[in-house]
Amino acid sequence: MILLNNVEIGYDKMLFEIDCLTLIKGKVYTLIGANGKGKTTFLKTLVGELAPLKGVFSIDALKSVDLTRGERSKRITFVPSKQVDVDFLRVKDFVALGRTPYTNLIGMCNSSDYLKVVSSLELLKISHLKDCFLNQISDGEKQLAAISKAIVQDTDVIILDEPTAFLDYSNRINVFELLKEIAIKLNKVILFSSHDIDSILELKTELLLLNQHSKKMEFYSANTISKTDLIKIAF
Amino acid sequence: MVLTSKVKLFILLLCVPVIVCLHICVGEFDLNLELIQQSLFDFNPTDTNQVILRDFRIPRLLIGVIAGSGLAISGLLMQTLFNNPLAGPYILGINSGASLFAAFSIMTGVTFFSSQFGTITSALLGAFIFGLIILGFSLFVRSKISLLLIGVMLGSFSGALITVIQSMSDAFQLKKFTIWTMGSLQQVSFDEFPIILLFYFFALILLIFTVKPLNALVIGESQAALLGIPVRFIRILLIFITAILTGLITAYCGPIAFVGIAVPNVVKLLFKTQNHIVLILGSMIFGVIFLLFSDWLVQLLWSSIHLPINAVTSLIGAPFVIFIIIKKLA
Repeated sequence: MILLNNVEIGYDKMLFEIDCLTLIKGKVYTLIGANGKGKTTFLKTLVGELAPLKGVFSIDALKSVDLTRGERSKRITFVPSKQVDVDFLRVKDFVALGRTPYTNLIGMCNSSDYLKVVSSLELLKISHLKDCFLNQISDGEKQLAAISKAIVQDTDVIILDEPTAFLDYSNRINVFELLKEIAIKLNKVILFSSHDIDSILELKTELLLLNQHSKKMEFYSANTISKTDLIKIAF
Repeated sequence: MVLTSKVKLFILLLCVPVIVCLHICVGEFDLNLELIQQSLFDFNPTDTNQVILRDFRIPRLLIGVIAGSGLAISGLLMQTLFNNPLAGPYILGINSGASLFAAFSIMTGVTFFSSQFGTITSALLGAFIFGLIILGFSLFVRSKISLLLIGVMLGSFSGALITVIQSMSDAFQLKKFTIWTMGSLQQVSFDEFPIILLFYFFALILLIFTVKPLNALVIGESQAALLGIPVRFIRILLIFITAILTGLITAYCGPIAFVGIAVPNVVKLLFKTQNHIVLILGSMIFGVIFLLFSDWLVQLLWSSIHLPINAVTSLIGAPFVIFIIIKKLA
């Protein structure tokens, strides 16, 4: 669970503020806002790459500023929109890197770590790719592998930056539906940013809108806002 | 048949005793195990064969093992740190410190360098100072690319200084320095090994703590940070280890080329993995085999032509690397 109270988000100057926001397990949240209005800054703040300009927020009732790097890596993780191209890295080894916060000094995975990798690959229906090299699979498959790595990391919160930005239509729908399934099945907070408004409204996720006019973040439950209103507020 | 990494490592390891025997046996007289044992533990300075063994062949073999493995490891660390297969042990300019101070020692005639220290001590001092400079920069330069550029600039700066020194020195000094830059495994004496081994094993122990971070760094620094890796600290640790190994090796052997860049790449092609416990062990073993084999060739051809080690590493190394790349592509 993530709790934000009177937090200001921004790099040097304030981009927007959040009066009060609670993100709870089992739900999918979509962050919507115009380019350059602080979506990525907000996500970076949540994962601890940036500090909020004002205020504190808590992850699992622990203040974010008090979390050590190791503790944070067991509670919250992040999936970038574009995945890296690496030679000689097999999908299963890439996914297994998600276990890094839990493994021993030289990073060896034990059998229970491998079980988690296997079941996560199964959940995302990419078990058949496990022995492929990362640079041999498609962008859509790479995105699924990255989500699979995030699941294996066993964090309560998974944050994704435009997870479908580089994907075609059928892959987009597939990723969105899998994210919803993960949130419910594995009881996690899932938060992602997206510009794909039609798919999101269809998917019925919770919405976090960056209000262009008031510079505040607004929360809308699924199905409580129409497309025209949404566009008026955010763009 | 697909061989596992363990089997491949074992096969590589089996080649080591073979190349070690080849390397130590090359020369004018035949030796046996008893003679080696005597020269190490029951040394008799009047026996010429023992003297040759203790003063020439054993030091040459040992420093070959240390240089081959150390340079290959350093190259691997820099390639993973900078996510670039063209990086090598000399990318941060630590060797140029050694070269600069060796140039001071050989060519300037400044008594501080030429009398009190020999070339080796001067080179060690240079590597140490340049290692400290680049470590200092890495403490507060945030971007890896900036660090890389600073390293390259340090290299060209000292390269320019060396050129100035060269232009003012006489032919004899010039030749001596040029030969130093060609690399040699024959400049270490037996008594210097305790201190060399101390630094070498210190670096190897530190290396254990970098295996897990290196595996995570493969997917980029920001991703590694999300996995709980202290990225800045690890960067400094990797540079520290590289500075110790390359500084030590460059001081004693001169700037040995090629091994550090080529070996880790060949090992990655052979093992097809990014697991750094495998890559480190593979690079160490393959680095030893490659450098000892090159040096064995150097000595085999010693009587007919005077070949520097740097020429041989690249002469046999470059075609070999191209062969491996082509073979893997096909």
